[in-house]
Amino acid sequence: MTAEVILCYSEDDAVAEGLVRLARSLTPDVASRVRAVVLPGASPEAADRLVAAGAHAVHTVAGAGSSDPHVRAEMLRAAVAELSPTLLLVGSTKRGREVAGRLAGALDWPAATGVTTVRLDGDGIRVEREALSGNAVAVERIVRRPAIVAVMSGTTGPAPSVVDGAERRELSVPSSSPGTEPVEVRPKAGGQLEIEKADRIVTIGRGLKKKEDLGMIEALARTLGAEVGCTRPLAAESGWLTDDHWIGLTGHRVHPTLYVAVGVSGAVQHLVGMRSSKIVVAINKDPNAPIFAQADYRISGDLYQIVPALTKALGG
Amino acid sequence: MVEKLRIWVAVKHGIDVNLTRADRTSGLVHVDAAPRKTSDFDKNAVEEATRIREKHGGTVTAISVGAPAAREALREAIAIGADEAVLVTADGWAQWDTRAVARLLVAASGKLGGFDLFLLGEGSTDHFAGLIGPRIAGELGCAEVAYARRLTIEPNGVLVEKDLEKEVEVVRAGFPVVVTVGQEINTPRLPTFMTTLKASKKEIRVVSPADVGLAADQLVPSVVAERVAVPEIPRKLVTISGASPDEVAGRLRDALRGEGVVP
Repeated sequence: MTAEVILCYSEDDAVAEGLVRLARSLTPDVASRVRAVVLPGASPEAADRLVAAGAHAVHTVAGAGSSDPHVRAEMLRAAVAELSPTLLLVGSTKRGREVAGRLAGALDWPAATGVTTVRLDGDGIRVEREALSGNAVAVERIVRRPAIVAVMSGTTGPAPSVVDGAERRELSVPSSSPGTEPVEVRPKAGGQLEIEKADRIVTIGRGLKKKEDLGMIEALARTLGAEVGCTRPLAAESGWLTDDHWIGLTGHRVHPTLYVAVGVSGAVQHLVGMRSSKIVVAINKDPNAPIFAQADYRISGDLYQIVPALTKALGG
Repeated sequence: MVEKLRIWVAVKHGIDVNLTRADRTSGLVHVDAAPRKTSDFDKNAVEEATRIREKHGGTVTAISVGAPAAREALREAIAIGADEAVLVTADGWAQWDTRAVARLLVAASGKLGGFDLFLLGEGSTDHFAGLIGPRIAGELGCAEVAYARRLTIEPNGVLVEKDLEKEVEVVRAGFPVVVTVGQEINTPRLPTFMTTLKASKKEIRVVSPADVGLAADQLVPSVVAERVAVPEIPRKLVTISGASPDEVAGRLRDALRGEGVVP
């Protein structure tokens, strides 16, 4: 077995720690090395956290921070040239997928994103990734290495032993001119809710006729001790709820114990966000709504009658 | 200021995820036989390209890489507003991975006039890798902005609102630039009878990889899809009904108590 060098990078510290643990789980042999790259602008404790997560070495790139994907990709390209990894793991965040694509194009490397399992396989890598808007799992084989794999958050390994005397090095890279010029950064409205951590969720869909009726949904959620979720139209189109409530392919993925879908038709792009829920209740006036095929308890009826009755029945 | 904006827009004739069914026993999806349609986000890209052309002039060239049947996606792009359409196809298209598709897009756009602005969906409805746009820019070393939810043309480039998980980053980039768009950027217009008729008469230029300077061995897949399956998540599928909303609600409460998920 040849020694592997797995390089891990994410702009998000917690994601990067998960990548280091995953990389260690892929390389139980003593000869392989898990190296993490920290780019300028990262938190001051990033290197410590990556060592604590099990990295053999942390390489910190000096210089000015930049959110420009070209600059970041060029820094990673310099790290790749210096460290000759057999695999580069990045987080499948929006920035992670973008930098993965840029770097793959620049290096002519294979790449896969949205990956949920990784297995080194001879000269290649076998991955499972989401496909068909997240409702199917595709098994793909990357036929050559080095390659870039962007993994979903939560795809990680057990906490490995911390490496004694882990190496910490500064990596100097040639500067590159950014392709984009920053103008401003605006935090998204809302953004406080971490719906992916909720144990109970009441999700409202297009069945809601007007924004004022949200009160009825919130009352049910309060009674259940649940967070309020929504489908794409309510966040992205009408803006009745902020993006942090949005569940689906381009929204959040949730895995609560109880998921109550109210007036949600069940488009595949929504189902991917909620399919890991333990118990699913669907309330919809259309008996043929696709959500019913994904539900444990199904009520075909008018949400404007069912929801208040349910709130009352639950003691609200 | 660019005299005449050369806008390219890539459209994928991808799997229609809403019509795709898995085999009941194995859960396997027969990707080859699946119904196809224009990938959702790519329609937003065509719409955006068309709006830019309507406001600032220039030309919109739609390009698709894949099966001969991808002509349908190109006709739809013309019906929305594209001026020209190019199909890159060859035997073996089904094995082309994101690397091959990005290389073909770079080669074809370069060979057929070049671009100032290259628009794509931020991902495809079926594969959703989000790699093609950044790969094109990485290969060319040009500017690129992914996840655009607003795009403004400026004298020498673009001003883009980039939609990230927790923030919106506003950036400026000079031409040539690759921009990938999300669904929030616009609502694609529906083709009318007249635009569809016009699109059906428009010639689609068909080229092979060799025509744009790429040999078959430069397109050998680096990633091979082995299987696609829909994981089975068993659901109880219990229908709850009753004579009144209160009765239905009471029965659901009792069922949820039985599950131990409500007190």
